[in-house]
Amino acid sequence: MYEPIKSLLWEILTTHLTTAESEWLEKQGVAHPLELMTAFVAAPRFLSKRFVQPSPEQAAELDNLIEGFSVEGWSFVRLSRVWLLSCLDASNKEAYCRHIETLFDTAEMNELVALYSALPLLAYPEQWLFRATDAVRSNMGVVYEAIALGNPYPYHHFSELAWNQLVLKGIFNDKPLHLIYGLEERSNEKLVLTLSDFAHERWAAGRWVAPQVWRLTSKFLNETLLEDMKHLFQSDVEYDQQAAALACYHSNYEPALQLLASYPHLEKIVNNHHITWTNLEFSDLNTYVSKP
Amino acid sequence: MCQNHKELEQNPSHFEESEEVVAHTDLSWESHRDLIRGMRFFDPHIHMVSRTTDDYEAMRDAGIVALIEPAFWVGQPRTGLSTFKDYFSSLVGWERFRSSQFGIKHYCTIGLNSREANNEPLAEQVMEILPLYLYKEGVVGVGEIGFDDQTAAEEKYYRLQLELAKKAKLPVQIHTPHRDKKRGTERSMAIALEHGIDPSWVIVDHNNEETVKSVLDQGFWAAFTIYPFTKMSNERMVKIVEQYGPERIMVNSAADWGISDPLAIPKTAVLMKLNGISDEAIRLVTYQNAIDAFAKSGQIDVSDFENGLTIDQSQKFNGNTILRGGQEPGAKKTNTLIIK
Repeated sequence: MYEPIKSLLWEILTTHLTTAESEWLEKQGVAHPLELMTAFVAAPRFLSKRFVQPSPEQAAELDNLIEGFSVEGWSFVRLSRVWLLSCLDASNKEAYCRHIETLFDTAEMNELVALYSALPLLAYPEQWLFRATDAVRSNMGVVYEAIALGNPYPYHHFSELAWNQLVLKGIFNDKPLHLIYGLEERSNEKLVLTLSDFAHERWAAGRWVAPQVWRLTSKFLNETLLEDMKHLFQSDVEYDQQAAALACYHSNYEPALQLLASYPHLEKIVNNHHITWTNLEFSDLNTYVSKP
Repeated sequence: MCQNHKELEQNPSHFEESEEVVAHTDLSWESHRDLIRGMRFFDPHIHMVSRTTDDYEAMRDAGIVALIEPAFWVGQPRTGLSTFKDYFSSLVGWERFRSSQFGIKHYCTIGLNSREANNEPLAEQVMEILPLYLYKEGVVGVGEIGFDDQTAAEEKYYRLQLELAKKAKLPVQIHTPHRDKKRGTERSMAIALEHGIDPSWVIVDHNNEETVKSVLDQGFWAAFTIYPFTKMSNERMVKIVEQYGPERIMVNSAADWGISDPLAIPKTAVLMKLNGISDEAIRLVTYQNAIDAFAKSGQIDVSDFENGLTIDQSQKFNGNTILRGGQEPGAKKTNTLIIK
């Protein structure tokens, strides 16, 4: 996996970099580790501020090599940094890990973003687990996003507890949840119960909850959650009603299906797929205001 | 402005000695701020790690669009390398991010400050990690470095850092000493020249009436710190600009953990305006000159802030940049009693 991904990233880079930029980068990729690390830091001094637009074929190939990994919308500096990391010699585990740790320890914000973006590509993936959970704890939005969104590392390596924190923090901060790789697959009963409590707190404060949140509850609907569904159906916010309808529709919980049946117009639009979860994938919510 | 001069002296901060008698004045900022409405300001020396979010909001409201945070002495002496590392990292990390949340572009200079250069075993270690920071994005100089007590250790690390600046092609931001300032300033400049550094790459900070002429005559940039009670007042600053003109002169606040004013630049601009200094001269000393001096680093792109910093595109992912759910940093505060 290592070599093909490295050459694909290089291909994406070279389609857009100037000759001078490529030459500089290529030289750094084969340099001694300390020089390579300096290049990682100094990249913005040598590369222009532009953004990556991989072709559909390149994007598909990338996803084929590492499912869920995307470079869409990255800056060239970020992609170049990730490429440089993929060039770092990993044969000596101790030295390799020490170099990566040093980069983490001294990183500024954009370097952190690159480092976390690169986690699915790094050797010895289990070594970076603490760092990865630290990114979830970060209050720098972009750092959280680098680990949580469009990054398959947490899906593969996070414990249930760490995973739930990642999802909860994303919800708490109004992040676009649908960009979390493996979101539905790793949903679990504990998470869903916490989400229900969270919703109650929000409602008590006169605030609301992103409708997408209920997507995670479908498989785990029970008596408690059913009360939440009732609350949503009675909401005067259309998105809430749709979320409840979808959550019930996708559940295999008989009482939920019965509840849905009592709202025929909603039942109809979800049955006909006129509304799917995709319709509720928002990227720019502010759920802290009282109502949308 | 100066109700409690005595108390301040018990708590000396960035500038330790106060010889100045500050006159009371009836001018209020609120009633004059409209004079500079629409002007943009660049504060090339301010220590935001010591300031609050209220300061950020007030600065933005007053027209400050970008700032430079020099690495300095944080008040409490550091005992190990890790605390230096964490401090440098916060200058390029957390503080930079925090600033962006208020729509202000944040740059920094990195260096071993003169006071702590005297702890030689630690200084040795700090020198080893400095290069890792100097090449970072948005690091616009080596600073603030220079003399405090003017000891041999201070001179040693000042010289070593001048060499680092040369190698990294970065401007140098010199802190001139509080005590024996005139001699310290001359010595700082002489050493920089001795190391073959072009004076147009050196910003000599914390000038006063006694040092400015020599600094300008030798081709250096002369920065002035408007800091309440101590070194420079903005009334005296007006006179300096009247006397020397705006060329190679810049104003900063050096606001830090002491009694200082993050609005020092806009307030000085008001005073200049009231005293008939031209808008162009005001623009040069409160904005453009600092940009010209530090842009030699190649790290300042004015398009990032000249029309007001919205959100840096490189830090944006699918339109979502909110720091913590629901907060809208930079949104205008209201005077309402109700807190939602």
